[in-house]
Order: sequence, then structure tokens, then C-alpha cells
Amino acid sequence: MVPLIQAKSISKTYPGGTLANDRVDLTVMPGEVHAVIGENGAGKSTLMKILFGVEQPDSGELIYDGKPVGFAKPREAIDAGIGMVFQHFSLVPSFSVYENVVLGAEPRTGIRFDREKAIAEVEALSEKYRLKVDPLPPVGRIPVGQQQRVEILKALYRNARVLILDEPTAVLAPQEVEELFVAVRSLVAQGKTVIFIAHKLPEVLEISDRITVMRGGRTVGEVLSRDVDEHGLATMMVGREVTLRVDRAKDEGPVSLEVKGLHIHGESGAPICQDLNLRVRKGEILGLVGVEGNGQSELIEAVAGLRSVADGAIYVDGKDLLPLDVKARRNIGLASIPEDRIARGLAVGASVAENMVATRLDDERFVRRGLLDLKAIRAQAEQLIGRFSVKVGSPASAIGTLSGGNMQKVVVARELAEQPKLLLVNQPTRGVDLGATEFIWKSITGARDGGAAVLLCSADLGELLALSDRLVVFYRGRIVAAFVNSDELTPETLGRYMLGIETQSPETVRAALK
Amino acid sequence: MSLRTDPRFKAAGKEIGRAVAALAVALLVTFVVVLLTSQDPIKAFGTLLTAPFSSMRTTGLWIDEVAKLTLTGLAFALVFQARQFSMGVQGQVYVGALFATFIALSPLGATLLALPLGILVAMLAGAAYGFIPGYAKARFGANEIVSSLMLNYLAIKVVNYLIRAHLAPTGTGQLMTEKFPAQSIFPALLPNTRFDLGIVIAVLSVAAVWFLLYRTRWGLKLRLVGHNARFAEYAGIPSSLTMISAMTAAGAIGGLLGAVYVHGRAFGRLAIDFDGNLAFEGILVAIVARDRPLVVPIVALFYGYLRQGAQLMAIRSDVPSEVISIVQAIIILLVASSFTIPGKAFWVRLFRFGPARTVEAAGK
Repeated sequence: MVPLIQAKSISKTYPGGTLANDRVDLTVMPGEVHAVIGENGAGKSTLMKILFGVEQPDSGELIYDGKPVGFAKPREAIDAGIGMVFQHFSLVPSFSVYENVVLGAEPRTGIRFDREKAIAEVEALSEKYRLKVDPLPPVGRIPVGQQQRVEILKALYRNARVLILDEPTAVLAPQEVEELFVAVRSLVAQGKTVIFIAHKLPEVLEISDRITVMRGGRTVGEVLSRDVDEHGLATMMVGREVTLRVDRAKDEGPVSLEVKGLHIHGESGAPICQDLNLRVRKGEILGLVGVEGNGQSELIEAVAGLRSVADGAIYVDGKDLLPLDVKARRNIGLASIPEDRIARGLAVGASVAENMVATRLDDERFVRRGLLDLKAIRAQAEQLIGRFSVKVGSPASAIGTLSGGNMQKVVVARELAEQPKLLLVNQPTRGVDLGATEFIWKSITGARDGGAAVLLCSADLGELLALSDRLVVFYRGRIVAAFVNSDELTPETLGRYMLGIETQSPETVRAALK
Repeated sequence: MSLRTDPRFKAAGKEIGRAVAALAVALLVTFVVVLLTSQDPIKAFGTLLTAPFSSMRTTGLWIDEVAKLTLTGLAFALVFQARQFSMGVQGQVYVGALFATFIALSPLGATLLALPLGILVAMLAGAAYGFIPGYAKARFGANEIVSSLMLNYLAIKVVNYLIRAHLAPTGTGQLMTEKFPAQSIFPALLPNTRFDLGIVIAVLSVAAVWFLLYRTRWGLKLRLVGHNARFAEYAGIPSSLTMISAMTAAGAIGGLLGAVYVHGRAFGRLAIDFDGNLAFEGILVAIVARDRPLVVPIVALFYGYLRQGAQLMAIRSDVPSEVISIVQAIIILLVASSFTIPGKAFWVRLFRFGPARTVEAAGK
């Protein structure tokens, strides 16, 4: 069979000097689901952007449908029959589903936009490829999973033969992933070719026919999905054995963080958290379990000093935190890995070194009499870059040039540069690849072993179960259950409390949190 | 890493290329406009390009403008780096000029203290005037663009009124104060030109602002707040305090410019509408310089040259003075928008006419 897409020895260096693709090869057969996997920063996205005409390669050859091609911009790739769905959708939220699908290529009678025809065509497409979505509501009001379908329909409407899906499952709930896979299979059954970018290995093995593995900007191999298992893929991807197992805390320390009768109100005055009571010991990780929006993040923000508290008290080693501002809390040993690294955890336009020193501007080592010690700041950045193996050109590079996983490592490096007393962690590995996840988990347990009390919040139950020593479950702003972690504790058990189906008695909760 | 391969130098080279290309295109369009409006276009255009160098006097005029453009550009660059869009430099210039005038016209004006005291008082007044919109924003959530613009009008009108009603010599109907005593006027660095202390102050200010921004904790805080205020808050940097201090510091530079105006050899007095809107053009200088203090004077040099050349062209030839506005507008358009030198793809597209492509373009 003749390959549909062939990339030969593609190289690309970004203006910042990052070699994103180094003689990369990719061969995609027509009618297959081809997964491209690799850690963040492995060069998957760059390769896809080259296929889609967003970036131009510095060298190498691209063959599509037997002919050498070079797409100067996405428009040309779309005309050639390549469609791409990015991780961040490009939809107009106030426009309806069908308007978004046809936008830029509307069916018309004369100069009039033929709405009926547009709706009919969108319905036909969604029927044909099993991408169920109502064409009429505004896109802003439908769930993320359906927005993704709108993006796919957009590409299909423009007669895409090849669909590139960039980490499509990252934004989806488990049921939605299943639905996406049904659609992908139906697409392939009807002759389309799908390129699937991912780093969650079980999904990759389930959906793809063949897998190209990338690491450090190069192709390390191409395998058939039926010939490999998760472990083998992980080793190929990271280049060494990966173990996502961490040891539990060894012994119980004294209570460090104590939250008493805490109430948090939203801006409108509606209660977000009610009567929270919990204790975290030194050298222990307490996992905050709950469906997003049940008050876990707000508790973390309140402890960090970023959200005001309506009632109650927070103590660290017996010291009242509430009268202290963010800086004062940090000075007594609070560190925090926030939920959203780009919105809150970093100044993306500033340099790596500046980001790393931003929380320590009162430290004599870096600032004396109001003057920056640039040498010390740079030396500290170099040391942290080494210790946390951040992949970056130099400490002077802007954060914006790093991949997501490396950005997160900068946050972790800054917060764990010194042993904290209290560590707040929210979604530490969201959108972060396997190698970095392993590293970040080890960093968190390292801080725990150093004597930190850790509050951990995550949407990933696997992560919570892997790291936590004890867990509390949030439901509608209250703690409804508490567990001492053990191998018997399953996601299903937690799920029943997360959805409010079951509630423990206050005595049971208190006993688990003693 | 060698200079040639250092990405920062590459990026700098690219930007210089872009600025030069923008300048070339602006001049080209200007030439066409001159061609359409002048009887003797070659001479008129020649005046635009060479007039500032035609004599020591005109060179002095140019340098005087460069100094003033540099100071207003610095003031804007400072607030822009903190992502505050205070437009208040003009008001600060008027307030600063007014207070410097009070000193100059007081008994102190004829002493050696006149200049240092005048400059100091002007800077304090400008700083206070810059503080107001910052405080109003932090305390009441007042939009700094609106409040600073209103404060500009207020300052200009109040100063103009004070000149007309109180400061101008009574009974003369003049729209300016008396000439300041010699001790209150900058000494000329070159006799009979406007080459005075103003340019020295501008150069020192450039160094000072650069140092503050890139070598002090205050500057780093200011830039971090500018990059991401939510990050700053999370990292323990008080963002409203930093924001207010940035606006106050920029106000001091605005006030300083006011002092440079009235103490400078061009005026040596306070006059109605003295800044001719130059203070506002600092926005352009700051934007083109991408808020970097060390680039501000370079932009000011080029822009001041064009500005002066156009003014002299308006005087010495038959081209209408509006042409300067056209040149300004084109430079802003080309440089401030992300103008790039057309590459290969552009020319390929330009000369490739496919029917399918045109239909698509129409559908867009």
C-alpha cells in the first residue's frame, strides 16, 4: 500500500534556538488510526503543525498522496484535505453549532446565507460519522466533549480526508472518551485517516493501529499496537524504565496544619465551603477528593491567602494564618503549586530565572538594599534547572518558549527550592507527560519526607490514590467522608461519596482524621 | 554562544530590519504625497530629509525635540511595562511646568538654587499628579485611561487659565509669563542653539529608568505585575501597590519634562499650550520602542528628525504641514502593527491567480 502521508527527515528549529524536530520521519497509511506519542516537548505538536501548515520545516520532505508538498499556511492544508483539531478549540462561543461548522464556507443562495441548507448538511454529517450534536444551540453552552465534535465536524465539512487530533482526550471525561472513540472508528470505517496525538498509553493502545514514538525531537520508532504493551511503550517514550509508584509516609508526625470550622463564601455571598475541619500531620499527604467545583480548590486558595474566609481558623504549627498576607505566609514556610500554571503560577513573558526568584524577593541572597544580584539569581536558576531537569535553552529564556511539562517543572522547582513546612498542591500533573509526572510525584513525596504537611487536590483519582496517605471527600462544600489510604480503597468507593450517594457519619470522619 | 547565533541578537536584528523597512515605506508614501502636493517635489522632499542638519540652529531644534520625546517616551514605557494604560503624561507635564514656574518667578528664581529646586518641585508635582489615577484605580476601580485623560484636560485648562489671568504681565494681553531670570534657564551647551541641559537630563533619565526596571527589586516586581498580575498576587507581590508606584514614578518623569520645557532655552517661560501635543506622542515612541527604555532614545532620534524635517519642510516649501501627520500615521501603522517584510509566500500568492482561490476569498 502507498502511504498517504510521509514526512522524511523533517527538522525545525524555533527562533528561540529550540531544536523541536530533528530529522523526524512519519509514515501514515490511508484508513488507519495512527498515534503519535511522546512526552511534552518531544516534538509531536511541532510535527503536526508542520503537517497542517502552521509551521514551516527548515529542512526535510513532506509527501502527501504521492506528491511532494509544502503548506505555507493552514488554508492550503485544508484545501488539500487535511483537518486538525487543536487542544484549544477555535470556536465562536456565541455562534450556534451549525454556524461554527460552516463559518468561512457558508452555503448560499445568491448572496444570502442559506441557513436551512447549512443545518441540513451539519445534521447529515453528524449522522454519517456518529458525531452526535444538536446544530442549534450556541457553542458556548454545550459541554467540552460536544465542542470537540463541532471542531471535527468543521474539518469534515471542509472535506478533510485526514484528521489530526491533538491530545483530544485531555479535556474529556471517561464516558466522553468512549464516545470519541466510537466516532473515530466510524470515521476510519468510512475511509478517513486519523492521526492521534496523545500521551495516555491505555487510550493509545485501545484506539490506534500503529504508533510512532517520539522523544527529544526525534522519532525513536514505529510499532504496531497489537505488538506492544503499556510498559514497553512507556520505556520507549521516556527512554528508561518508568515507575509510577511512590512509597507511603513512614511514620506519623505531629499535627502541622489545622483547619477549624472553616466557612468560605463566594463573591455573591453564597456558601462555597461549610464547616471544614481537618488536620494534616508533618510528613503526610492529605488528598482532597471531589468532583471539580465542590470546594477543594477554594480551600487551597484560602490557605494560600488568595481567598478571604467568612468564618473559622487555619493554624500552621499553632500559628494563626488568617491575619497574614501571602508574603508573610510564604515567609513562614508555605509553598504552593497552583491549579493553572499559565494563569497563576508563572509570568509567561518573563524569563525562567525571574520566575524562579519571584517568590523570594526579600531574600538577602538575591536582593540586597533593593538591588538585584543578577549573578546569584542566574546561579540559582541554573542550579534549579539542573536539579529539576527542566529542558530550557538558558535561564534567560522566556517561559513562553517552554513546553507545558517544563513550565510545570519551573513552578515545582521554585516552590520546592527550599523545604516547605506546608505544601499546597492543586492539579500538579494536568497536561503533563509521563516522565515529568514521575518526577513531580517524586518531588512532592520528597517534600513530604522532608517534613512538609501536604494538601493535594487533583481531578485524577489515580494520582490521589497513588500519593495520599489519607483522603477526605468533598461534596457541595462539605467533607462527607475521610479515609486512611490503603490498597483496598478503590476509585469506585470514592466515587459514591463524590457524587453524594453515600455519606459517612461525622464520627467516622473524625476517627479517620484524628 | 557567539553574537551571531545568540537568539536575542537575531531577534534584535529582525526588529531593527522591521523598523527600517517601516521607515522606508513611510518615506516612500510621503514622497508620493509630496509629489502630489508640491510644485517642486524634489526640493521639498530634500528639505524633509536634510533640513534638520542645515544649520547648527536647526540641529539644536532637533536635539531639543529628541530630549523631550525621550522623556515622554520613558514615562509611557514605564507605565506600559506595568500594563497600566495611564495617558496622564501631558497633565503631569503641565503641572510640573507650573510648579517649576512658581519657583522661577519667586525670589528663589534668581539664585543658584533655582534650577535644582525647580526640577525637584516639578518632579514631585508630576509624581503627585501621576499618583491620583493609580490610587483611584486601586481604591475605587476607576479606569486609569479615563481618569488620566480627564486629569490631562484639567491640568491644561487650569494652567492656561492661571497664565492668562494671573501669571502673564498685567495689561499686556500676552499669553505667557515674563522671561525667567537667567539663573532659571538652562545654560546652552553650544552658544546660540537649543543644545541645552535638556538632552543631558534625557540621557540620564534613560539610564535611570533602565536601572530601575532591570536592576532593582522594584523594577522586577513592576515587570512581573505587568506580565501577570494574578501571578504576582500568588507570589506575594502586592500588585496594586506596585501599580500605583509605577504610575507615580512615571508622573515624576512627566513632571521633569515639564521643568525641561519651561527651563529650556526654547521657552525660558511658561506659555499657553506650550507642549504642542508633543507630550502625547510619547505613546508612539514607547510603542515603537516596545517599552524598552534603552530603545526609547533611538526611536526619539529618528522620529524627532522626521518631525523636525517635516516642520521645516512646511515652512520652507509649498508642502502643507499636514504631511507630517500622514508620515506619523503611516509609521504608527507599520511599526506598531506587527508589520513584517513580505516574504516569498507573499509574492507567490500575489502572482498566482487561481479561480478556486478567488471564490474562496470571496466566501471568507
